[in-house]
Amino acid sequence: MQADFHYYATYSAAALAGFSHDECMKICYGAQLVDLCSRSFLNALSAPPEAATTMLRLELMDALTDYAGLCSITRIWSSFHFLPRDLYAKRNGSRRYMNKYRLICGPDGPLVSDTVENAKGQGEEAIGIAMHVIADTWAHAYFAGTPSLVINNTTDDFYEIVCDEAGEHEEKINFRHRPTGEDDIEGRQFTNSLYQRGEHSVMNLGHGRAGHLPDYSYITYRYMPAWADYRVVVKDNPSDYLKAFGQMIHAMRYLRGEIPSFEVGAYEPEAIAPYEEKIRSILCRRQLIASDDWKEFGEALTGEHIEDFDLDKYRDGYINAAGSEKDSTYLGRFFSAATRHKGMVCSRISEAGIPLVGNIMVHPALGNITVHPALGKLAERAVERREAGKR
Amino acid sequence: MTRIRKIREILSALFMIALAALIIYSPSEGYYLIIVLLAVIFLMRGVSTLIYYITMARYMVGGRMILFSGIIMLDLGILTGTLTDVPHYYILLYLFAIHAFSGLVEILRAREAAGYGGSWKFKVFQGLTDILVATLCIINIRNMNAAAVIYAAGMIYSAVLRIMSVFRRTKFIYIQ
Repeated sequence: MQADFHYYATYSAAALAGFSHDECMKICYGAQLVDLCSRSFLNALSAPPEAATTMLRLELMDALTDYAGLCSITRIWSSFHFLPRDLYAKRNGSRRYMNKYRLICGPDGPLVSDTVENAKGQGEEAIGIAMHVIADTWAHAYFAGTPSLVINNTTDDFYEIVCDEAGEHEEKINFRHRPTGEDDIEGRQFTNSLYQRGEHSVMNLGHGRAGHLPDYSYITYRYMPAWADYRVVVKDNPSDYLKAFGQMIHAMRYLRGEIPSFEVGAYEPEAIAPYEEKIRSILCRRQLIASDDWKEFGEALTGEHIEDFDLDKYRDGYINAAGSEKDSTYLGRFFSAATRHKGMVCSRISEAGIPLVGNIMVHPALGNITVHPALGKLAERAVERREAGKR
Repeated sequence: MTRIRKIREILSALFMIALAALIIYSPSEGYYLIIVLLAVIFLMRGVSTLIYYITMARYMVGGRMILFSGIIMLDLGILTGTLTDVPHYYILLYLFAIHAFSGLVEILRAREAAGYGGSWKFKVFQGLTDILVATLCIINIRNMNAAAVIYAAGMIYSAVLRIMSVFRRTKFIYIQ
């Protein structure tokens, strides 16, 4: 997904969940920041690199794909952009294969509930992160957040399913490799990543082989992923995006304390009903990015002006805060929430016996997860350092 | 990274350094050593591709292509092993392409880091070094010993990176 959904649609969902304008702004800022909080960004702020929630294109090109590098990539992409649907999925395959297969992203999995629970009571920044993660489970379904040819590769046969005056028909989608060129919707010419035979090539990370198709709300298409035993997958983005929007409202109503529990598979149809026609028209409009439409919709909901996203908005607040006060700034809270979320997802992956996120060390304060005794002392020391920093 | 994997990485890095030293010590014989080394690399790559097919790629759509490429790689290894007189400038051109590309990427990364206000000087240094090595490859294209020495230097660099990656942190501290 792009800024149109992560920023403006998240604002609208937060408003429909009952948050005030200021709270909505903080939530949608957090949701969009997930796509920009790279190591380069953190280095410039002298912030902890563990808080990275994305990798820039050149960071990816530069990344080593040895074991340590793969762990680093997988921690970021599986946690924030390709949340695994079923870490215990079963099918015929070697253990090595299953370690990748089980990282395939999809909506309504147990980790979605864990993500929402993890954000409860942690502030708007954590809610924003959770909303980004939830939304991406819909957009990025069927791809994994780890470099893998056997999972993320696709055949070249992509077809757009078009419904117009002529009825339902299919149009061939063509790919080209021009990273700087803009996708051509009408000509159905899209950019995707190059085919690379290496299992761990970064070209085989996430939905690179399908280009930005998963990120466009208007498109319905069919294709054949590498993992699906020659079955064709139909991806209905308008329908999926509507469910994502409904699920965000449901999650935020829970996080606000308006409803007692969060249920996967609940999409708040009653909350959406009065606006469904308008939302569907935004989602189905053939355009590369729907920011203007979502912005107009959000502003109509609250009657307030939604300022455009500005990466530097909270930067000075963080840089100028004294060491002990950094954690209480917006960015400080965002970094803490990101690290906490990443830790939660990675510990679940590690518990499932998947070694692709490295050794996960959980501080005993978490309570519900067993800590390896050999790692306990290191964790204690890390906490001591952190406490000393606060003092 | 498991302990066994760490030991394996360090041992292979030390082997690479020893081999590189041998090549630098005697570049003319070292050149033939490089040919043997390339043959072994192709053979190993062929075998590992076949293992990859058996454990992973046979479950994927179009995975049979991996099987074919594994067999071709194996053949290439055997073929390379039988050659004794490959023109050395092929190796220099190969080294030129690798270093020029790496240098360009490093400089672009430095530009990106500078855009974010981050540190960029070391990356520029790395990029310029790569471009310098690429230039040396072209300048010395007629010199057979140069191919061996530059190749050996590249091996040492890879070995050092391998050792460094052993000590890179793969632990993620999760504090609630």
